[in-house]
Amino acid sequence: MPRPIWSGSLSFGLVNVPVVMFSAVRDQSLRFNQLHEPDGARIETKRFCAEEGKEVPFEEIARAFDTDDGKTVVITDDELQEVAPRRTRTIDIEAFADLADVDPIYFDHPYFLAPIGEADGTKRAYQLLVEAMGRQERVAIGRFVMRTKEYLVAIQVRDERLALTTMRWGDEIRSTDGIDTGGARKPAKAQLEQAVALIEALGTEWDPPAWEDRYRARLEDVVERKRKGQTIKAPKEATEQPSPVPDLMAALEKSLAEAGSGSGSKSGSGKKAAAKQPPAEARDGDLADLSREELYERAQKEDVSGRSSMSKEELIDVLEG
Amino acid sequence: MPRSVWNGTVTFGVIAVPVKLYTATESRTVSFREVHLEDQGKIEHRRFCSKEGEEVPYGEIVKGFEIREGEYVVLAKEEVEAAAGDRSKVIALEAFVEAAAIDPVFFAKTYFMGAGDAGTDAYRLLRDALGQTGRAGLGRFTFHNREYLAAVRPLDDILALHTMRFADEIVPGSDIDFSAPSRKPQEKEVEMAGRLVDSLHEKFDPGKRTDTYREAVLEMIDRKASGKKPRKAKEKPPEETPDLMAALEASLAGKKG
Repeated sequence: MPRPIWSGSLSFGLVNVPVVMFSAVRDQSLRFNQLHEPDGARIETKRFCAEEGKEVPFEEIARAFDTDDGKTVVITDDELQEVAPRRTRTIDIEAFADLADVDPIYFDHPYFLAPIGEADGTKRAYQLLVEAMGRQERVAIGRFVMRTKEYLVAIQVRDERLALTTMRWGDEIRSTDGIDTGGARKPAKAQLEQAVALIEALGTEWDPPAWEDRYRARLEDVVERKRKGQTIKAPKEATEQPSPVPDLMAALEKSLAEAGSGSGSKSGSGKKAAAKQPPAEARDGDLADLSREELYERAQKEDVSGRSSMSKEELIDVLEG
Repeated sequence: MPRSVWNGTVTFGVIAVPVKLYTATESRTVSFREVHLEDQGKIEHRRFCSKEGEEVPYGEIVKGFEIREGEYVVLAKEEVEAAAGDRSKVIALEAFVEAAAIDPVFFAKTYFMGAGDAGTDAYRLLRDALGQTGRAGLGRFTFHNREYLAAVRPLDDILALHTMRFADEIVPGSDIDFSAPSRKPQEKEVEMAGRLVDSLHEKFDPGKRTDTYREAVLEMIDRKASGKKPRKAKEKPPEETPDLMAALEASLAGKKG
């Protein structure tokens, strides 16, 4: 069970449910530590007062705000809480909206809510919200304060639990003024039809596990190679860009022909693209048995670009393809 | 004129669309700096060696990955960068999925994707075709020395690029464990709650709601700066709900009245 990061109550009409909040994201990235190079010891960060040059215990640290006219106002946590005592303890549901109307640009961080304590009434009220909201494609829109910030939130049902997503406020979305959106002219009807056909041909189901974090895998590979004493070189920056096609219609036709000749079926072509990294046991036996060095030599022979930064898995992919 | 943070090319099929990425969101939370309570002195974070107890200059700090308790593999900056991924500045859209089928949990950060210096015809074509199909294009790209999965979809007259979380970063609901109530909510209760949900239904309008806490914090700071006492908020904490049915009825009645 993850660690709770906030507790309070979820308020819906006159129904109040004591809840606790957990992050719905777990950081899987490789954790690096700062080390002191000469002796390899861990680095510790200490807080110092710049005035006295002395270390400051955590309790003696406050927040300061610099006003426009040059004054410094010191604020305590209590004062911040007193600004909105209810909202620091309550998620107030203000409305319900259709999930489809909430653009993903607003979504920030996902959490789960769970009922607190063993009181049957609490658990039943929580269950009631899950059932009432789960029946409709609705999200609850509400607000609450956590630490020093008020959040707009969307609550929906996921995995039979209440899932809360913090959102950005309307004025935290920047204007698109000044960004080139390609002009007002509409694409030619025939081109649009072909482009739609191409997108549909490359259409596939959203299958999250099919997309692996290749960066993480490569970083793990770099650590492993370094541990074995190998040399690691960064790949060169590419400068050339694919040039815009002179004839859009011809390019669309060519793309469609290629998409169609792939694996044939509609979902097949997308699946093929999405599942570029099958598990090792499902691989071509010969290549998977080779070491990275052996694979690298083969890649060298075939003049595969970017081979020096590729992991073993990527080399196999390239060589198989 | 906004400044782009990444310039490159989006491809679908053999079509290349020159694009520029722009930051789409910015925090407006009141930000504070750390000070020493006694003398309002600025707080500095200084780095010390845990072995010698001496302050360490920045140039002597390296990144280490702990492979075993106390045993580190040290990586230079260039070695970490070797893992970055494809540096070709191309986002090849490999697959197109129904945009509405993506759970909000997967969206990490959003960028606006404007047209590049040439090829606005292709840009409009991609945007309008995505709009017509209701699909988002998925592809990988390298940004700040790190490869991301990105979803590209239309947003009004522009394209938006969302960096995506990976499936194994998402906590499954089964990890959040709690016991079920001794009896399930009654059908009548669920039906009433459903009516309450309906009565509070509205079209989502982000402009309608503002961060009132931000305003209240700024007002409190203002009062404090001019030596006045902060105003006491007049909010009441919510009360317990001993009788679910009565609370639902009262909520619905309150909504009507």
